[in-house]
Amino acid sequence: MFSQKVAQQSLRRLAVQQPLSMQWSMMRASPAAMALGKTVQSRPVTTSPNNEDPTSLLAKQRLNRPVSPHLAIYKPQIGWIGSSLHRITGVAMSGPLYLWATAYLFSPTLGWHLESASMVAAMGALPVAAKVAIKATLALPFTYHCMNGLRHLTWDLGRGLTNNAIIKSGWTVVGLSVSTALALAFI
Amino acid sequence: MASFARPSLLRQTLATRSPLLRQNVGVSQAVAFHASAKKQILPPLPQTIQGTMNDPVPVPSPHPSEGSYHWTFERAVCVGLIPLSIAPFAAGSLNPVMDAVLCSLLVAHSHVGFQAAIIDYFRPQRVPKFNSLCNWLLRAFTLTTAVGLYEFETNDVGITEALRRIWNA
Amino acid sequence: MASLRSTSRLFAASRPFFRPATFARSYATVETGAPAEPPAKMKSFKIYRWNPDTPSEKPTMQTYDLDLNKTGPMMLDALIRIKNEQDPTLTFRRSCREGICGSCAMNIDGVNTLACLCRIPTDTKTESRIYPLPHTYVVKDLVPDMTLFYKQYKSIKPYLQRDTPSPDGLENRQSPEERKKLDGLYECILCACCSTSCPSYWWNSEEYLGPAILLQSYRWLADSRDERTAERKAALDNSMSVYRCHTILNCTRTCPKGLNPGLAIAETKKMLAK
Repeated sequence: MFSQKVAQQSLRRLAVQQPLSMQWSMMRASPAAMALGKTVQSRPVTTSPNNEDPTSLLAKQRLNRPVSPHLAIYKPQIGWIGSSLHRITGVAMSGPLYLWATAYLFSPTLGWHLESASMVAAMGALPVAAKVAIKATLALPFTYHCMNGLRHLTWDLGRGLTNNAIIKSGWTVVGLSVSTALALAFI
Repeated sequence: MASFARPSLLRQTLATRSPLLRQNVGVSQAVAFHASAKKQILPPLPQTIQGTMNDPVPVPSPHPSEGSYHWTFERAVCVGLIPLSIAPFAAGSLNPVMDAVLCSLLVAHSHVGFQAAIIDYFRPQRVPKFNSLCNWLLRAFTLTTAVGLYEFETNDVGITEALRRIWNA
Repeated sequence: MASLRSTSRLFAASRPFFRPATFARSYATVETGAPAEPPAKMKSFKIYRWNPDTPSEKPTMQTYDLDLNKTGPMMLDALIRIKNEQDPTLTFRRSCREGICGSCAMNIDGVNTLACLCRIPTDTKTESRIYPLPHTYVVKDLVPDMTLFYKQYKSIKPYLQRDTPSPDGLENRQSPEERKKLDGLYECILCACCSTSCPSYWWNSEEYLGPAILLQSYRWLADSRDERTAERKAALDNSMSVYRCHTILNCTRTCPKGLNPGLAIAETKKMLAK
């Protein structure tokens, strides 16, 4: 063990020496003395006064950092999927309402027919399957958003905020909204 | 010396000892991560930290009309919408006054909902110009919607009656 | 215990190289014959890797295989074993290994949790995926940057604020009922599992405080001894600090300590509405 250590150290010392300084040191000291560390090593050290902000390096490193994956890797759970559906269904109803009401406002100038009579006539001309499909796509966002809205209102009262209740009420809303939407579609 | 040699030694010993581990040790495969490679819609900016690590984040000045009053108003509108959206199923359709109330609550609810979505996805601190563009577009559309619904209520049959007729068409 | 166990296993592995088998155990039991090894239960772990030394390289998922028979029961055991035996460059935070320090918070199989409290699923057919906390800036591998989180914590002044001295000059007393209000709040270890599970916090982490900080904020709002309740409420009364919460409730679902940040935020909103 000891001999190993000595050999390693002397090897390191030899390696550290530059060829030029090796020549220079050879004239003065034997390689054995050098290997044993009896020569004085001179290593040029360059130090410069460091005036820059020590946190600047960290700030630079921060700019390289990636953002860890989020939406794509998070486990699909009824809580956040249901919540995103709440917003999606809300936009899916309010968006068409906004577009239709705005179009209705400008329909006289544009020459479009968006009065109730023409819409009813257009709907009446469709085959039954199309009617049911249109009714279902209109009814499902409505029923889901209403029932999930009730769930949100109970939460805002501070009730039903346990993990079990959240999961159960989430699936209940999904089941109820789908069944009522189907019922509405077949009226 | 021992600690210096340890990891490599260990790997060898493990590999020689158990043939099951040999195939996996040290040759773990790396797979490119796909989710970060695809183009994002509004990717977050590179990380910057305002102030030193020991400074708290700045506390916004209180603004109840965007905070607690806004929240209470939003809930009140929601609570008001519950009976008004159930009543047409019981009564077939609503009288013009109730219909008008329903329309105004719907517009208010939609406006607040869109507003929340704009702040969430296009926050002013990240995309200030696009945020204000969205907000002005929303205000314009809310106005035209409100006027359009007023026109529909006054010149046509009203939305609950119109929906009832479409449903029965 | 996890670390102890794995080192002893390491030791056993390197045994034949250094010393005869009889010296391997310091206990009195002597192994007469090698016990029949149960069949190996190999499970794959896919772990998110990113090295700041090569910032131009994209993050990758690296696969490691472990025999579950030789691994401790928890995810942290698996991570430590991978680091000890397969890849010393794998970087993650860990300290207490018993769910009280919050260091080893990460996303395991799609859910934020503490690696030391998360059992390794024994189903060896499916691989386990381990990511850093979602939508955080990654320092290295599984280590997220928490600077903003701590700065936000500081902004809510998480300490008792009083102007009047206590009546007896010794203690600020509380009734048992008042103290009971702090149960479920003071246990929070600030591991950031809830905040980084919240989509609202993903999109608006700069301004929205997030569930963990709001739970801590409510812990001081609910404290009967604190006298700056009005100021604390005013600091939250804007569109961003609290009201980016849309009761998605990922926070309550994911909390590894079984706390309820969603309820704390709901109570905060109720307090602010009054």
